[in-house]
Amino acid sequence: MAIRIFDPTADAPETGNRPAPRLARLDGLRIGLFTNSKVNADLLLRETAALFAERHGCTVVAKEGKPNASHIAGPQVLERLAANVDFMITAVGD
Amino acid sequence: MTTTTAAPRLHELADEGSAIDFCYEQGWTDGLPVVPPTEARVEATLAWAGRPPEEVVATHPPTGRACTVHAAAVNAVMAGCLPEYFPVVVAALEALNDPDYAFHGSSASTGGSAPLLIVSGPIADEIGMNSGVNVFGSGNRANATIGRAIRLILLNVFRMTPAIADRSTTGWPGKYSACIAEDESRSPWEPLRVALGIPEEVSAVTVFAASGFHNIENHYTNDPEALLSTFADSMRSLGALSAGQSVIVMSPEHAQIAASRGFTRPDVQEYLYAHAWRPRGDLRRAGKIPADAPGADDEPVHRGLSPNDILLLVAGGEAGGHSAFISSWSRGRGSLFQTKPIGVCLDC
Repeated sequence: MAIRIFDPTADAPETGNRPAPRLARLDGLRIGLFTNSKVNADLLLRETAALFAERHGCTVVAKEGKPNASHIAGPQVLERLAANVDFMITAVGD
Repeated sequence: MTTTTAAPRLHELADEGSAIDFCYEQGWTDGLPVVPPTEARVEATLAWAGRPPEEVVATHPPTGRACTVHAAAVNAVMAGCLPEYFPVVVAALEALNDPDYAFHGSSASTGGSAPLLIVSGPIADEIGMNSGVNVFGSGNRANATIGRAIRLILLNVFRMTPAIADRSTTGWPGKYSACIAEDESRSPWEPLRVALGIPEEVSAVTVFAASGFHNIENHYTNDPEALLSTFADSMRSLGALSAGQSVIVMSPEHAQIAASRGFTRPDVQEYLYAHAWRPRGDLRRAGKIPADAPGADDEPVHRGLSPNDILLLVAGGEAGGHSAFISSWSRGRGSLFQTKPIGVCLDC
């Protein structure tokens, strides 16, 4: 006998968020670093930024982070970064 | 980010067996077959909610996905819950939703924690929960399905899918279901919920991000301090030592020994906190902290930050010198246990 069952999932709400536009150039841009405070995160971010500095003359102008990797970043932190840099480097890992 | 919920969707299947297979095909299970959430079963469960089905109980911070009362009921049916278990599921979900519990982080982390539900109060007997023999094991419908409902909500509503959003390195069996009841009748101390500030006549559920289960065996001593030193030794193990919280589920036999010389609940908590420590040098030599981490080698590093970080309750069979230490998720204090009353609002 046919039955009907409810779907147990939920859809993510439409937020209107879209990826930022691709940068037209990298030369001389300002970099922001954002760490999740895991061990060696700072090192990874610094070394990655150093490659941008070497190849494109970029400069690290801001460093932010969150003290607990498992909590979301505070909106004020991200807004502050976005206002002062051209692109941000962050990483996900353990 | 605003949170809106769409109307519940229905799927038509040929029969119950096809529905079970369909749920597997959609990835809606924990690996075990689920009970098809038909309209009749969900409606019967919603009758125990005490609130509108469209009301949002929990929201996922990273995605904004919302778990309504209706969605919780659908997953509770799938878990095998009887309708009368639903108030416990809802209260546990409310506890999970507290930002200080951090359910996203604790579910996504390599740490692989599971929400451990501890029910304290009259409802435990009313719905037939197990607080005695084999309390953490299989065989009791209420214990098994209430914990499972929470796991299915995490999987289906919040999409904490293993290997995608859930990056647990090992996980542990508690991720199927981890739900127990306190045995007040065999406890020498006040009920856990009373110690946590809930009126005795009100039932409550505490949710704790549990990373694993350590059996603590001591069959010989009748000396409380000797016994508690066994507990402290497990709590200070290198693999578990952190600033996080702890759950101690003490068997009735061990609890009677601890109380035999007048140890109160706070006395036990203070003794365990005071004795569950290692010198910082141990952590440095084991590579658990960087070699240049601040602090002297002989500085004590305690498990937790205070005796109040130790949740102590009595449960388990009357026979056997076996108790349990449940360690917390995270290398720090990523999640703090949360307690909610069941079926009532104390702050309203």
